[in-house]
Amino acid sequence: MKFAKVLPKVAFVAVLVGVVTTAAPPSGPHGIDVSAFGRLPVLEGGRVKPLDSVARNSLLVIRSQQSFRSGGGRISAIEWLLDDMARPMVADEQPVFVIDDPDVLAIMNQRQTSNRYFSFHAIQPYLSEIASQAETAQAMDAKQRTPFQSAIGNLYQRLLLYHRLRFSMQAPGGPTLAAMLAAPAETGQASAAMTELAMFRAVPPKPGEKAEAWKSIGESLANPVDAPLLRAWAALGVAYASQSAADFNHAAGDLTNAVNTRVPSAMRAASSEQIFNRVEPFYLGMVIYVLALLALFASWLWKPEILQPTAWALLLGGAVVHTLGLVARIVLQGRPPVTNLYSSAIFVGWAAVVLGVILERMYRRGFGTLVAATAGFVTLIVAHHLATDGDTMEMMRAVLDSNFWLATHVVTITIGYSGTFLAGTVAIVYTIRKHVTRTLDPKTTATLVSMAYGIVAFSVVLSFVGTVLGGIWADQSWGRFWGWDPKENGALLIVLWNAVILHARWGGFVREKGVMAMAIFGNIITSLSWFGVNMLGVGLHSYGFMDKAFWSLSAFIATQLVLIAICIAPARFRFARPSVSA
Amino acid sequence: MNKYLKTVWNTFASLKLTIINLVFLMALVFMCTLAQVKLGTYGAVRMYMRSYWVWWDLPGTDYALPVFPGGVIVGSMFVANLAIAQISRLKLSWRQIGLWIAHAGLILLVSGEFISAVFQVDTQMAVEEGQTVNYVESTREIELTITDTTDAKNDDVYGVPESLLREGTTVAIPGTPVSIQIKQFLRNAQLGNRGPNEMPSLANQGVGASVTVTELPPVTRDDDVNQTAVFIEPWAGGRSYGTWLVSNALGAPQAFTHEGRTYTLAMHRRREYLPYTVTLKDFRHDVYPGTDIPKNFSSLVRVDNPQRNEARDVLIYMNQPLRYQGKTYYQSSFGKDDTLSIFQVVENPGWVIPYLSCVLVTLGLLIHFSIVMRRSQRRRAKEA
Repeated sequence: MKFAKVLPKVAFVAVLVGVVTTAAPPSGPHGIDVSAFGRLPVLEGGRVKPLDSVARNSLLVIRSQQSFRSGGGRISAIEWLLDDMARPMVADEQPVFVIDDPDVLAIMNQRQTSNRYFSFHAIQPYLSEIASQAETAQAMDAKQRTPFQSAIGNLYQRLLLYHRLRFSMQAPGGPTLAAMLAAPAETGQASAAMTELAMFRAVPPKPGEKAEAWKSIGESLANPVDAPLLRAWAALGVAYASQSAADFNHAAGDLTNAVNTRVPSAMRAASSEQIFNRVEPFYLGMVIYVLALLALFASWLWKPEILQPTAWALLLGGAVVHTLGLVARIVLQGRPPVTNLYSSAIFVGWAAVVLGVILERMYRRGFGTLVAATAGFVTLIVAHHLATDGDTMEMMRAVLDSNFWLATHVVTITIGYSGTFLAGTVAIVYTIRKHVTRTLDPKTTATLVSMAYGIVAFSVVLSFVGTVLGGIWADQSWGRFWGWDPKENGALLIVLWNAVILHARWGGFVREKGVMAMAIFGNIITSLSWFGVNMLGVGLHSYGFMDKAFWSLSAFIATQLVLIAICIAPARFRFARPSVSA
Repeated sequence: MNKYLKTVWNTFASLKLTIINLVFLMALVFMCTLAQVKLGTYGAVRMYMRSYWVWWDLPGTDYALPVFPGGVIVGSMFVANLAIAQISRLKLSWRQIGLWIAHAGLILLVSGEFISAVFQVDTQMAVEEGQTVNYVESTREIELTITDTTDAKNDDVYGVPESLLREGTTVAIPGTPVSIQIKQFLRNAQLGNRGPNEMPSLANQGVGASVTVTELPPVTRDDDVNQTAVFIEPWAGGRSYGTWLVSNALGAPQAFTHEGRTYTLAMHRRREYLPYTVTLKDFRHDVYPGTDIPKNFSSLVRVDNPQRNEARDVLIYMNQPLRYQGKTYYQSSFGKDDTLSIFQVVENPGWVIPYLSCVLVTLGLLIHFSIVMRRSQRRRAKEA
């Protein structure tokens, strides 16, 4: 049948076309070209990035979302940033601060209801109380704080961020930028405050200056060379405040030209990053993996000869998007793929998908597609939840600043994580299948076992090599090969556990069921060593301290333990009936 | 006899023992990781990894029970099992060459950790910009020093290590007429000002007479240092020079004079003097613009070694330590408004072993799994 051959190709092409359409710039409200403004490069967090990234990361920190609904329309991050800076009256009414903690709500005389979002205006009356509580909290060690203290400290930081963004362009409580430019003599105090508080530095280095010598608007007020640039900023602010599209677009054009003559390469990089932000390849990848899973599930019920290849084509489409996103990050950051916890999740997922694609080519039974799409989907969700701390392309701390070791040690150890998770996923598929399907076909079971075994063998090599490379890096930078540091121990546990699985099977102590149950336990070990050790907050490796994920991790471990129990339980135990003697 | 020996041999060669060892090792690693929150890395490693047994203090008593084999036992069993299994079970065939190489590498790796455990010495060197230092200091051990400061140009330093400071003993200082009687030794203590109504001090000389000393449990965290206090009575020429309190928590030097020679009493981190000097010329601490994120730490030092007639500048920075005469200096910390640089100094004679063993294991595993994979592919090709 022709249709069977065409549908997978159509699905694959449709996915890619869908991705390309997301790259086109959207039009702003009333014809205001906000995306031209979002393209402008600024220096923030030690890195030159487009204002679009500043806006998205800030809104993500403040509201845990990259856009929000307000007043009947969807407001994008960059529009919100413009409101914050140029239309404070409007911005202060927008419900952008997410507050969940009941004790923090109590300070504001609020009860916990379904409304979790508050405007600055709603928070304003309680500002001094929040500030004094937060100061007490922040004087304490992060680990000693109560949940209330963490939450209030966090709210205070977000309020600060909200205002520092504003003061990157406006003086606190004082004149607008346009007014300051009109009367430069009276701006001493205001410009000093702006210099002190600016969140980002918008004035690029002049020819002959160092590439990192960006200045804030406040700092540049006294400098006549920067006056045209600042006038364009001021005009842009005035135009946005009056929502005049023609003036805004004109000012944005002036600003683009001025920046482009000074730092053309930064302009190009910022523009690429803006496209990357807009496409959201990892979010798209997540959606495509779900589509692949749905097609695969449908194939078990209806027309497998059409739907299984379609699922495979969708998986490939997802893998292509995932890969492009990963490559884009590598190029934009100029770093190997894994630089922090967020990117490790992206990479673990990517490696698992690639391994799954290889498995599918080797066995061609749909299981490769299933585990790859599941692993890709789950890890991208994890990554999505790790991204709420702000910029995911943050600068590397000095000790990690070694592209060679990031590319070797970190990449191998992360692929080792992927392998262990993938083996665990295969084992989960085995477990569910064992209890759901009515006819157990021994050949398929043998396929699954041989897949799991193969992946475990692969992971033991990768995680061992990765761990030892880490030891060598440690010897190079800290003077000792092995220090029983929590992160090192976590990696060692993965190696040991995979070795236990292999030896238990070689010795014949476990058969298929045992290998599978052990492979699921590998998920627990890997999740502990990936995230758990970061929660201890000790050791030389604890760069990514996190406490929020504790409950998620516990829930994950609980599900894995249940799956192990189900895996060990006799096949189709839920159908068992008390035997009736004939 | 032969039969029993064979049973023991077979037990040691068994794969079951391998799995038990691996699982025990996992349990130790897991417990050691969790314990680090309370004990610090050093304390946890000593308790679980560098011990024969893991001891559990019976609550309410002074007794402790061994409840789990420690790293030394598990590690030794691991090596013994690997070696014996290798000899007795694996055949010397090309098909198993990968396993031979990998297991040999593993034995080497674990032996390397034993060597580190026994021989590795961790010290520190703190240098201020412009300062020249010719010693490294222990981060944990302290020593009592008696320094003959009579000669303005040359000090003779006599160090008494912490292990010799036992209450009731007398330590003779070699090369001097002085001997030191140890009256009380407190590994960690809190020092405070003595009020008028408090019990008189054990010390009747020096600053110690006006200080109260309260015993504290020894510190466990890695970044804490014990404030050790010791009451000593120096004797020379048959007479006592009174009882003194010496502690690393006390700043001002205390001294007594015997037959025209002045001896200063002090307590500080145990020092090891070097045959060369290190001068800090410049310390840099760069951050990314507009942030506090450290971009780079680096120390430009000058190493002067008259014995070797060597004097050169070295830049020590992140991931780039200085290896010199068996010691590795790496950038560890800083202070005093970026004018003080602190190096961790590690001396480990076995540092090459992990490099060798990791090459062996990786090579072995790759060879083995390639052989296995080729076999299984051939089998599947045959089936198809």
